[in-house]
Amino acid sequence: MRYGMVIDLKRCVGCYGCQLSCKAEHATPPGVFYARVVKRESGTFPNTRLVFLPLLCFHCANPPCVDACPTGASHVRTGGVVDVDHDVCVGCRACMQACPYGARYYNRDPRPYFGDQGPTPYETARGSGGKRGVVMKCNFCLDRVQAGLDPACVANCPAHARTFGDLDDPDSEVARLIRLRGGTQLEAGLGTDPSVYYLPP
Amino acid sequence: MTVATDRWIPSACSACYGTCSIRGHVVDGVLVKIEGNPDSAIGRGRLCGKGVSGIMTLYDPNRVNAPLRRTNPVKGIGVDPGWKEISWDEALDEIVERLRKVHAEDPRRLFLQRTTTNTSGRAPFFVFAAAFGTPNVWAAGGGLHCGNGAHLISGLYHASWSLVPDFKYCRYAIYFGASKGHGAGHVSCTNMQDAADARARDMRLVVVDPMCNFASAKASEWVPIRPGTDAAMALAMLDVIVNELGIWDAEYLAAKTNAPYLIGPDGCYVRDPASGKPLVWDLGRSRAVPYDDPEAKDLALEGDRDVGGIACRPAFACLRRHLRQFTPDWAESITTVSAATIRRIATEFATEARVGSTIVLDGKRLPYRPAAAIFFRGAQGHKNSVYNCYAIELLNQVVGAADVVGGALGFSPVSYGHPDTGHPWYEPTAGPDGLMVTGSWVARHLPYPISEPKVPTTMSLSELFPLGMFGPSMASRDQEDLWRRFDLPYRPEVMINYGANSLMSVGNSATVAETLERIPFIVSFDLTLTEFSEFADIVLPDTSYLESVDSRPDFPFIFNHPAGLGNWSWPIKQPVVAAGGQRRPSAEVLFEIAYRLGIGDGLNAAMNAHLKLQGEQRLDFDRTYTHADVCDRELKSLFGPERGLDWFKEHGVLSWPKRVEEVYWRAFLDVRVPVYWEFMVPLGEKAGAIARAHGLHWDDAYYEPMPRWMPCPSHDLRDASYDFYGFYFRDTLHTNSFTNENPWLDEAARMDAFSYTIAVNATTAKAKGLADGQLVWLESPAGRRVRGRLHLTEAIHPEGLGVGGCAGHWASTLPVARGKGVFFNELLEVDFDHSSPVNQNLDTCVKLRIVP
Amino acid sequence: MSVIAHDRLLTDLGATFRPQREWAEGPGLYLIAGHFLTGIGAGTWLFALLFDVVPGLVVAIAAVALGGLAHLKFLGRPARFWRMVRARHSWIARGFIGMNVFVAGAVLAALPRIAPGMPWTADGAAGRFFLAVSLVGMAILMVYKGNVYAASRGVPFWNSPVLPVLYIAYALRGGVAVLLVLFPFVATRASADFVALIELWTAVSAAVMVAFYLAVIRGAHVAARRSVAELVRGRLAPPFFLGTVGAGLVVPIVVGLAGLIYPLSLTILALVGALSLVGDFFAKLTIAKAGFYVPVVPAGMSTWYGSASWWRR
Ligand SMILES: Nc1nc2c(c(=O)[nH]1)N[C@H]1C(S)=C(S)[C@@H](COP(=O)(O)OP(=O)(O)OC[C@H]3O[C@@H](n4cnc5c(=O)[nH]c(N)nc54)[C@H](O)[C@@H]3O)O[C@H]1N2
Ligand SMILES: Nc1nc2c(c(=O)[nH]1)N[C@H]1C(S)=C(S)[C@@H](COP(=O)(O)OP(=O)(O)OC[C@H]3O[C@@H](n4cnc5c(=O)[nH]c(N)nc54)[C@H](O)[C@@H]3O)O[C@H]1N2
Ligand code: SF4
Ligand code: SF4
Ligand code: SF4
Ligand code: SF4
Ligand code: SF4
Ligand SMILES: [Mo]
Repeated sequence: MRYGMVIDLKRCVGCYGCQLSCKAEHATPPGVFYARVVKRESGTFPNTRLVFLPLLCFHCANPPCVDACPTGASHVRTGGVVDVDHDVCVGCRACMQACPYGARYYNRDPRPYFGDQGPTPYETARGSGGKRGVVMKCNFCLDRVQAGLDPACVANCPAHARTFGDLDDPDSEVARLIRLRGGTQLEAGLGTDPSVYYLPP
Repeated sequence: MTVATDRWIPSACSACYGTCSIRGHVVDGVLVKIEGNPDSAIGRGRLCGKGVSGIMTLYDPNRVNAPLRRTNPVKGIGVDPGWKEISWDEALDEIVERLRKVHAEDPRRLFLQRTTTNTSGRAPFFVFAAAFGTPNVWAAGGGLHCGNGAHLISGLYHASWSLVPDFKYCRYAIYFGASKGHGAGHVSCTNMQDAADARARDMRLVVVDPMCNFASAKASEWVPIRPGTDAAMALAMLDVIVNELGIWDAEYLAAKTNAPYLIGPDGCYVRDPASGKPLVWDLGRSRAVPYDDPEAKDLALEGDRDVGGIACRPAFACLRRHLRQFTPDWAESITTVSAATIRRIATEFATEARVGSTIVLDGKRLPYRPAAAIFFRGAQGHKNSVYNCYAIELLNQVVGAADVVGGALGFSPVSYGHPDTGHPWYEPTAGPDGLMVTGSWVARHLPYPISEPKVPTTMSLSELFPLGMFGPSMASRDQEDLWRRFDLPYRPEVMINYGANSLMSVGNSATVAETLERIPFIVSFDLTLTEFSEFADIVLPDTSYLESVDSRPDFPFIFNHPAGLGNWSWPIKQPVVAAGGQRRPSAEVLFEIAYRLGIGDGLNAAMNAHLKLQGEQRLDFDRTYTHADVCDRELKSLFGPERGLDWFKEHGVLSWPKRVEEVYWRAFLDVRVPVYWEFMVPLGEKAGAIARAHGLHWDDAYYEPMPRWMPCPSHDLRDASYDFYGFYFRDTLHTNSFTNENPWLDEAARMDAFSYTIAVNATTAKAKGLADGQLVWLESPAGRRVRGRLHLTEAIHPEGLGVGGCAGHWASTLPVARGKGVFFNELLEVDFDHSSPVNQNLDTCVKLRIVP
Repeated sequence: MSVIAHDRLLTDLGATFRPQREWAEGPGLYLIAGHFLTGIGAGTWLFALLFDVVPGLVVAIAAVALGGLAHLKFLGRPARFWRMVRARHSWIARGFIGMNVFVAGAVLAALPRIAPGMPWTADGAAGRFFLAVSLVGMAILMVYKGNVYAASRGVPFWNSPVLPVLYIAYALRGGVAVLLVLFPFVATRASADFVALIELWTAVSAAVMVAFYLAVIRGAHVAARRSVAELVRGRLAPPFFLGTVGAGLVVPIVVGLAGLIYPLSLTILALVGALSLVGDFFAKLTIAKAGFYVPVVPAGMSTWYGSASWWRR
C-alpha cells in the first residue's frame, strides 16, 4: 500500500482552504505550513494565466530528506508516509535543504499568533507552538487516515480538488484519476518519486 | 478528575455573508476546530480558508470585553477616545435616555448602520428601526458598493438578490466583474464546488475583468476590459446577436417579457383604453389586444403597427433598432476589447444558448438554454451601474436563458416550503402591467413596482431614487448641502452601528469622518475597536457569530442559498462556546433597549410581520421576549412545534429536496420581465422635476427606457497625467476590512503576491521605470493619496491598478491588521457627482497616477 | 521566530526563487563558522604534519574542536547531538563521526609530539595508529562538508559533485594559509619560499575550481543559474567579489606570483595567509547564501499554461 494524493489543478480555485484547514487541524505555529498555496503566473499580457498551486509534503518514495537526516528523525512510516519524530530531531535542517519541494519548516522560536498578547485559549488547548528547534512537516494526517478519515485538507477542499487513496491499488480513485487525466509529479526529473500527483488545469 | 467534554456543535459561519454551515469542535469549553457541516446544502461540509480560521477571530485578545464610554469629547481620525469601562446598566441607561428623547422629538433622527458581513444583524436591526420609526438605516459601504445596481437588476429579472450560471447544466458562462464560485460573492463556498464541477465537465467560462484574478484564473478565456465600460461591451454583443446574427428566443420574449408590448412615439406603452393595460399585437387576429388576453397566441415582436391612429411597434423592435448604434467597433474604442473578440464571444454565447431546445427533467419538458451572463460588483460598482447591469442582463433575456435549465439562475426565488408544513413559501407574481414582483426580498422596498419619486425626507434621499437602496448622502462630502436643498427637517442625533467599519468601507476617510463628527451620539456594537469605533461615544461588546444564536442565518434564501437543483437547507446559528467577558448578543441588547423604551409593542408587531410568524407563534404585543424566544417561535412557526430552537440546536439543520418547479420556475409561472423599461421615462421626468426644483444637477440620459453606455467620472477626466484606472477586487483570503485582523489569514495574505499590493501591468510599469515591490503613492485627481507596494504582473490591463480587499487599517486596536495592505477607498470621492443619479451607486473606479 | 524573520519567511515563500537562509543567516552563521573551522583545521593538520609545525597541530585540533562547538551551537536541539550518529547514510552523520574520530586520533597523535614522556611515542605502533586514525578523521572532515551541501537536492546550486572537490581544495589551501599566519611566530624547517609556492598553487587551484564550479552549475538548473546571478551581480556580489574573489583569490595569487620574482617577507606571507582565510570564510558564506530552493512549478507547466491552444478550450 502506498498512500497518495491527487490534486486537480483544474478544480482548484486557490482558496487557501487547504492551507488553513491544515493549520487548524495541526495547530501549527506561525511560519509553519504543512500545506500551502502558491500563485504563479505564466505568459504575457493578455495571454496570461494565474496558476494556483497547492503544496504539501509529497511523501516521496525516494525521499532525499530521509537520506540527509543524521538522526533518523525523518523516517518512513506505513504506506510510505514520511514523518519527523520531533523527539529525535536535532534541528540540523539538512532535510530542509534536501527537500526539493519546500515542504519542511524549521520551528525556530515559536511565538503565539498574537505575539506578546499571549496564546489564545485555542493555542493553549492544542499545545500549538510544537517543539522548539525541530523541523516540522505534513504527515498526510496519518492519525485521521488510520481512523478512516480523509486528511483534513482533502476533507475540506471546497472545490473537491484533492483526492486521497492508495496509489498501489489500480482500482483506487487516485490511481484512476492519474491514469485518466494524465497525473504528473512535480519535478519528476529529480527522481524523488512523489506520492502527490497533479492533474492538468 | 474532570471528564473531558468533547462535542461537535452545528452552527453557521459568518466570516463573510456566505454563512456556510459549520460544526464547531469544542473540547472542555474551548473551540479547537471549525469544519463544514456535511448535513447542510450550504457549504456541503466544506469551508473556505476564512471559514476554518474563525477560531482566531473568536479568540482575538483584542476583542472588546466590556462596555466602553469615551472620556475625550473630541472626535477625529487618530484621536484617542480615552475609553473607560462602564457597566452594562450604565451604558444602557445612557443609551435609552438619549433614544427616548429622540423618539419623542423625531424618531427619524436615529440613524442605524450595520455591516453586511454578519447577516444575523439584518432582522433585529430591521425590526428595531421599524418599531422605533426611523427610515434611516443603511449598510454603509455595502449598499454603495455591491448592492444598488446588481440587486436591482437581479430582482427585476430573477426575483433574486443575485445570480449564477446554472452550474449543473450551463455550457457557456460570461462573467462581467464577478468572482462567484471562485473567490467571493454570495454562497461563495458552495459555488466553488459547483463551479469546479462545471469546469470538470468543460463549461466554457469567459471572464470580462480588468484583472486576471480569481474567476479569470479558472476561465477558458480572460477578456481584459477597461474599468466601468461593461455596458459598451454588452450592448455591442447584443447588437451582434439580434442585428447581425438574428438570434433571439421569440417564444420566451413573447411570453415572459414585455418585448411584445407596443411602444408609442412617446416611448410609452400603448394602452388599452378600457383596461389601461399595455397592448400587444396578436398576429393571429391581426390586432392589438391587452398583453394578458388569453386568446392571444402569436404576439408580434416586430413590425410597425397602427393602433387607433397611434404609430407604434413592439418593444423588442425598439430594442433592436436602439442596439444598432452600438457596433463592436464603437465598443472597441471604449472597452479596449477588440471588435473581433466581441463578435466572437457574442456569437459563441448566442449559439451555445441553443434557442428552441428543450430537456426533460423529472418528467417535465423544459427550455434548455445552457448559456448565462453574470455580473456583480465589478460591473455594477459605477456611476453607470444600472445601464451596465441592464445591458448585461439583456444578453440572458434575448436568448431566453433566465431561470431555465442551463441559463442564468437567481438564487432560489421560488420556495414551496418544507413538505411537512409548506413553509417557507414564496414565489414571484405578476404586478402592474404584468411585470414581475419578487416573492421574497431583502431590502425595504421591492425592485418593482416602482414607487413614485417624492421629495425626500430620509437621510439618503431614497424617496427620490426609488430604484436605489442606499444613497451616499448618509456619509458624503455634500451631505449637508443635499439635505439643505431638500429641506430635510431633521439631522441625525443618535447613531447605532452594528459592526460596520464605514470609515474604511465607504470612501475616503476624511469625508466619512466629517459626517460622523456631526452626529452627537454614536453607539457601536463591536467585536474589536475599529477605525469606526474611534468615533463612538459608547461601544458595546458584541458576541461574535460563534457565541450567538440566529434562527435564520441563511434566510432569505434569495440571498444566500445555493441556486440550482439539490437540497434546501435551513440551518441555525448557535453559540459553540460561551460568550467571553461581558459580551452580550447585540440582538438581545437591541430588544432590551426597545422594551425599556416602551416600543415593545411595535417591536413585537414588526417581528410578527417581518418573520411571518404564524398562529400561536405570533408575539403578543404587551409581552417581552428574548431574541432566543423569537428564534424559537420562528422555527416552530416554519417547521412545526416539535422543531423549535432545541431541535435545531441538536440537529443543526433541516434539509429537504428542491423541486424542478422551484429551480426552473420561469416555465411554470406566468410573469413577465421588462426588456424595455417603459417606467423609466416618467420616473426620470418626475424625479428630475423634483431634483431640478431643488437645484440639483440632473441628467436625463440616465433615465432612458433602453440602456446605453455612460462614462464614469474617471472616463471624463481630461488630465492625461492620471494615466491609470484604479479599482479594487476581493481577495479570497479576506472579507472586506474584517478579517485583516485574523492572524492566520493575515499570514497567508502576506505570502500572496497580490493580497496586500497594488497590481500593475509589468510592461506599463517598466516603461515608467517602476520596479516590483517599490513603495509608491497613488494619487487621485482630487489630491487624495495612499501608499502601497507595487506588484508587477502580466495579469492586469495595461491601464489598470488593482488593489485587493479593503485593507490598510491604521487603528492601534487592530495590531494584526494595522499597516497591512492598501487602503484603496481613501482615493474615492463620496458625493452626488460620483454616484448614479438612478440608484445612487457610488463609482468605485478612479483615475490615478503613480508617484514614486 | 522573530517578527522580522517571520515576515521574511512569508515573503520568501511567496517568491518564485526562495533563498536558503537556514544555513547562512542568524544562528546559521555558526554553521558557516563550523564548516570554515573544521575545513581549515583538517587542512592545517595535514600541512602541519608535513612541515612538522607542532603549534600547527595544536591550532588544527583547536580549530576542529571550535568548529564542532559552533556546529552544536547551530543545532536547534544541541542536547540531542549524540543522536547524529544514528543514520550513517547521511553525510552529516559521517561528518560528525569524522569529527570525533579526528579529535580523538589527533589529540592522541599530537600529545607525544607536544609533551614528550607520554606512555606512547609518535613513531611507535600506537602513535602510528593514532596518526592513522587522525588522518582518517581528517579525510572525512575534508570530504564530508562539500557532500553535505551536494546532498541537498532542494538547492540545485549545491547539488553538484564539483562542490565536494571545491571544498577539499579550500580545506587544503586553508591549511597552508594557517601555516603562513603561524610562520612569523614559530620555528620551522620549511622554507617560506616553498610554502609560498604551495600557497600559490592552492590559491590558483581554488580559483580554477570556483570558476569551473560556477560555470558548470549555471547550466544545471534554473535555480542554480539564479544563484550564480545573485553572486556575480545580485545582492551577494559585494561579499563575493571583495571577500571570496578579491581577498581570497586575487590578492593571494598576485602576491604569490610576485613571490616568484621577489622574495617575500614572512610578514607579507602571513598577511596573505590571513586574507586567504578571510576569503575562505567568505567563500563558504557566499556559496551558502547563494542557495535557492527548487522553484515549485508544475513540471511541463509551459505545456499546460504557455501554449496558445490552452487558451481557446
Ligand atoms: N476597498 C474596498 N472597499 C469596500 C469593499 C471592498 O471589497 N474593497 N467592499 C464593499 C462592500 S460590497 C461592502 S458590503 C462593504 C462592507 O463593509 P463593512 O460592512 O464595514 O464590512 P467589513 O469590512 O466586512 O467589516 C465588518 C465589520 O463588522 C464587524 N463584525 C463582524 N461580525 C460582527 C458581529 O457579529 N457583531 C458585530 N457587532 N460586529 C461584527 C467586524 O469586526 C468588522 O469591523 O465594504 C465595501 N467597501
Ligand atoms: N473572499 C471574499 N468573499 C466575499 C467578500 C469578501 O470581502 N471576500 N465580500 C462579500 C461581499 S460584501 C460582496 S458584495 C461580494 C462581491 O463579490 P464580487 O462581485 O465577486 O466582488 P469583487 O471581487 O469586488 O469584484 C469582482 C471582479 O470585478 C472586477 N472589476 C473591478 N472593476 C471592474 C469593472 O469595471 N468591470 C468589470 N467587468 N470588472 C471589474 C474585479 O477585478 C473583480 O475580479 O463578495 C462577498 N464575498
Ligand atoms: S482547498 Fe482545494 S481549492 Fe482551495 S486552494 Fe486548496 S486545493 Fe485549491
Ligand atoms: S516532499 Fe520533501 S519532505 Fe516530503 S518526502 Fe519529499 S523530500 Fe521529503
Ligand atoms: S532537522 Fe531533524 S529531521 Fe531534519 S535532518 Fe536534522 S535531525 Fe533530521
Ligand atoms: S495531509 Fe494533513 S498534514 Fe498534510 S497538508 Fe493535508 S491536512 Fe496538512
Ligand atoms: S464562504 Fe464565507 S461563510 Fe462560507 S466558509 Fe468562507 S467565510 Fe465562511
Ligand atoms: Mo457587499
